[in-house]
Amino acid sequence: MSSVTAYFSDIYRGLSTALVGMSITLRYLFSRPVTEMYPDVKPMTPTRYRGVHVFEEEKCIGCYVCAKACPVECIEIGVVRKGKEIKITRFDIDYQKCMFCDLCCEPCPAHCIHMGPEFEKASFTRKGTILRFATPKSLTEEEKKVEKVAKK
Amino acid sequence: MNELALNLPVWIDQVNAHTGLRISVPAHLIPILAMFLCASIVAAAMGLSAAVLVWAERKLAGHFQCRLGPVYVGGKFGWLQSIADGIKLFLKEDLIPSDADRPLFRIAPYPVVLGVLLAFIAFPISEKLMVADLNVGIFFILAVLTVEVFGVILAGWASNNKWALIGAMRAVAQMVSYEIPMGLAILPVIMEAQSLSLKSIVNAQSGGILQWYVFQSPVFIGISFLIFFIAALASLKRAPFDLPEAESELTAGFHTEYSGMRFSFFFMAEYAGMILVSGLAALLYLGGWHGIFQGQAGPEWFLLKTSFLVFVMIWIRWTLPRLRIDQVVYLGWKVLTPFVLVCVVGQSFLAYK
Repeated sequence: MSSVTAYFSDIYRGLSTALVGMSITLRYLFSRPVTEMYPDVKPMTPTRYRGVHVFEEEKCIGCYVCAKACPVECIEIGVVRKGKEIKITRFDIDYQKCMFCDLCCEPCPAHCIHMGPEFEKASFTRKGTILRFATPKSLTEEEKKVEKVAKK
Repeated sequence: MNELALNLPVWIDQVNAHTGLRISVPAHLIPILAMFLCASIVAAAMGLSAAVLVWAERKLAGHFQCRLGPVYVGGKFGWLQSIADGIKLFLKEDLIPSDADRPLFRIAPYPVVLGVLLAFIAFPISEKLMVADLNVGIFFILAVLTVEVFGVILAGWASNNKWALIGAMRAVAQMVSYEIPMGLAILPVIMEAQSLSLKSIVNAQSGGILQWYVFQSPVFIGISFLIFFIAALASLKRAPFDLPEAESELTAGFHTEYSGMRFSFFFMAEYAGMILVSGLAALLYLGGWHGIFQGQAGPEWFLLKTSFLVFVMIWIRWTLPRLRIDQVVYLGWKVLTPFVLVCVVGQSFLAYK
């Protein structure tokens, strides 16, 4: 190609490719934005999402299996047994340690702990990252003696 | 402005009659008052339109990239975003680097704003709406826009910063070399209209879309319109010619060291320059305030054309990547200048009657 034709074909290609690019951006201008309005609109989490746990206290039998299964030892359970009656006094999960591995939910015989869709549990203090799932109960002196707190 | 000066005493009388006040202005102060009014209207319009344009650019930039742009400030659509930014810039500390050339650093933003502000004097919006109908209007605007170069080189030099200096040198090289195709691209229009006054150039294009200069002589004036637009992009330092402020290489180019008010002056001048150059292209090539059909005329047509050209500028900015400096110089001297010379010569044959 001689330099004269190269000069003109360069100009033509410069102009035409610019127009191609501009047609693409014009198409984007009228397409839907992909922005998620996150703090205002919560994103959809998938059904098997492994977020903060969901704990069903009335089903729990206080068997410590989940605490034993936990590889990072982040679950702390307190139980008071009186015959067949079971009182869950503590069910704390330390989310500084928890790695959302789902290993605690698998062995649970009562199916009382699940991984939930929630993920916004950031806190300004270390204490705030320990979530207490059991409803607080006032214990009698007798009950306090038999309360067993287990950490693995 | 002369009309305003003539009308002012009447208006003052009317105000006195309605409110019972006794305002009297000495006759020799009336022209000065009219000048002052015009200047403040131009400055306010420039600042306001720059603010709107900054918001529009951010919004459009977002949508060009499948984002949303500003959404929160001012309720819906973030329409107060540029006001909020402006307030932030006004309240910011005006830092001057310790090794900077203080007086030069302080005065550098003013020539930049002054150039654009002065150019608006000869800038008609409609048949009646203009500060002054200079008989060398277009020449005056081109001459005054060059003042901007002084501010840019002063800012780059006085900052005592290598990036600022490199940016300023690039800006000056680019702006000066692109003034030539820009000035020459106007020549075919001037030859056709046989006038330098913007008002008579626009009035020569009355009577429907086919009388606009782009369509009246689509080859020579059409190409020179394209060249004018490209050269205007380059002399405004807009992408793809934004080498002077190439943020990935030079942080921010000549205004690296500026903050607060002084930075906002540079910023405002850039956006007002966009409006000015788009308006100029609309006046010279697209029939100014004349509508698509015969008999239609009004400032709304002019504003429509100007805002379309501004939109194209924003569109180009968010599409094309930045050129290399040798490509910019190649484009200016080896492509635009010969083509515009061909246009000038060709149109001079056509215009010979």
